[in-house]
Amino acid sequence: MYSLSTVRRKNRAWLRRHSYSFFSSLGVLLQHKVGTPMTVLVLGIAMFLPLGLYVTLANLDGLNLHQDEWSAVTVYFASGTSEAEVRRVADELEKRMQPEKIVVISPVEGLVDFRDASGFGDSLDMLEENPLPWVMQVIPPPGSSEEIKASIDGLTTYLQSINSIEVTQFDYKWLQRLGRILELGEAAVSVLMLLFGLAVVVVVANTIRLDVASHADEIEILALVGAGNAFIRQPFLYTGLWYGLMGGVLAIILLYVTLFYLAGPLGLLLETYGTTFAMRGLGGSNILWLLLGGGLLGWSGAWISVQRYLRLLAVGGRLGRH
Amino acid sequence: MVFLTGHSGAGKSTVLRLIMMLERASRGQVIVDGQNLSEAPDRLAPLVRQRTGMIFQDHKLLRDKTVADNVALPLVIAGLRYADIRKRVRAALDKVGLLDKEGAWPLTLSGGEQQRVGIARAIVAMPPLLLADEPTGNLDPNLSRELFALFEEVSEQGTTVLIASHDLDLIRKMRKRVLVLSSGRLADDIPALD
Repeated sequence: MYSLSTVRRKNRAWLRRHSYSFFSSLGVLLQHKVGTPMTVLVLGIAMFLPLGLYVTLANLDGLNLHQDEWSAVTVYFASGTSEAEVRRVADELEKRMQPEKIVVISPVEGLVDFRDASGFGDSLDMLEENPLPWVMQVIPPPGSSEEIKASIDGLTTYLQSINSIEVTQFDYKWLQRLGRILELGEAAVSVLMLLFGLAVVVVVANTIRLDVASHADEIEILALVGAGNAFIRQPFLYTGLWYGLMGGVLAIILLYVTLFYLAGPLGLLLETYGTTFAMRGLGGSNILWLLLGGGLLGWSGAWISVQRYLRLLAVGGRLGRH
Repeated sequence: MVFLTGHSGAGKSTVLRLIMMLERASRGQVIVDGQNLSEAPDRLAPLVRQRTGMIFQDHKLLRDKTVADNVALPLVIAGLRYADIRKRVRAALDKVGLLDKEGAWPLTLSGGEQQRVGIARAIVAMPPLLLADEPTGNLDPNLSRELFALFEEVSEQGTTVLIASHDLDLIRKMRKRVLVLSSGRLADDIPALD
C-alpha cells in the first residue's frame, strides 16, 4: 500500500509531466513554421467540408418558406359556376375535412387583385366580361409533413370528384421535395462527417508517424533509461490533440468567413422569394463539440501511430540493438 | 564491482540485456535483487530500467539536448521537481568532472567526455545496480583507466557495478572479480585479488 504522501507525490509528478508535455508539444508545433500550418490547413479543410454542409442544412431547415401557404390547395371552379355552388362545396369541405382555413375568392375580387398586382389596369377595362373563375383556397389542418400530405391527398381526391371544379392545384409537392432533399443532405452530412473524421485521423496519424520516425533515437534512449510507454506516448498524443484543436479552430474560421461572404448574395436571392434571412453560425455548444471532436480525432490518430511504434520497443524487440 | 568478459559473441551484452529486461531468457532464470525478471511482466520493464543505470559503448546521448538535459532524463521520467533535478544533475556532473560542461551540446564533447556524460546519467538517480557495456570500446588506454577508476569510486559508494568488457589488460589491473563467458555459458569465475 502507498502512503498518502507517496500518492500525493506521484500525483504531482504525473501532473508535472502532463503539463510539461501539453505546453512543450505546442511549443514544438509552433517552431515548425511551414509543416504545422500545412498540416493544420489540411485538417481545417477536412473538418470544414462536413461542417459547412451541416450549417447550410441547419440554415435551410430554419428558413421561413411560408410552409402554410405552400400546403394550400387552390381550387379553380368551372366558368359559370354559381356562388351558391361554390358556397355549397366550401361548406361540404368544412364538414368533411375540417381544414385550417377556407378562403373563397369571387371573380370580382380576383380581378381587383389581378389589377393591383399585374399593372394591366387599363387593358383590363377593355374586357367585356370578367373571365376569372371562382377560386377557393383550402389550407389543411396543421400537422407533421406526413399528416399534411395525407390531408392533401384526401382533399384532392374529394375535389376531383366534384364536377363544378375544373382545376385543383397544390404546391406542397415542392415543399415535400425540399424536405426530402434536406433529409438526403443530412444523411450526406453523416457520411461526410464519418469520412472526413477518418481523414483527420489518417492525416494526424501520418504526420505523427513521421514525427515518431524522426525522434526514433530519442524514443529509444528514453525507453533505455526507464521511460514507460505512457511517458513516451504523451508528447505525441498532445501533439495530435493540438493538431485536432487547431484544425477545428481553422474550420470554424473558414466557416464564418464563408458565411460572411455568402450572406449578402443569399439575402438578395431570398428577398426575391419574399423572405428575409439571417444566416446562423454554429452556436457555442456546437463549437465546443467541434473542438472536442477535433482534439479527440487528433489524439486518436497520434495514438495509432505511436502505439504501432511502441510495439517494436517491447521486451525482446529491437530496443538497444543498434 | 564485477567484470564480465569473453570473446565476441560469448554473450556478455546478452546478459546485460537480460538484466535490463530488454531481452527475455529462453531458458533459466534472471534474478536481480531477489526478483525473478524472467517471469516479470513487460510492464515492469521501465521500473527495472529506472532502478538500473546503464552505460553504452556508443553513449546514447540526445544530440539536441544539452549535457545537463541528457543527465536529467532519468529524473524527469521519475517526475522529480525541477529544483531537485537541477541539484542532482550538478552533483552527478561534478562526480564525473564535467560540471563546467552542463550547458554544452554532446557533439561538442570528446568521446571520453561523452562517455562520462553517459555515466553521470546512469548514476544520477542513484540506482543500486550499474551496468556498462564495453564502456571503453572507443577510448584510448588513459581515458579507459580514468573511466574504470570512476566506476570503482561509484562501486565504493555502494552501487553494484557490472562491466562487460574484453579489455583484458585493464581488467587484470583492476583486480576485481571476473566472470568469463564462452558460447553463452559461464566458463570461469575468477575472484577479486585484494
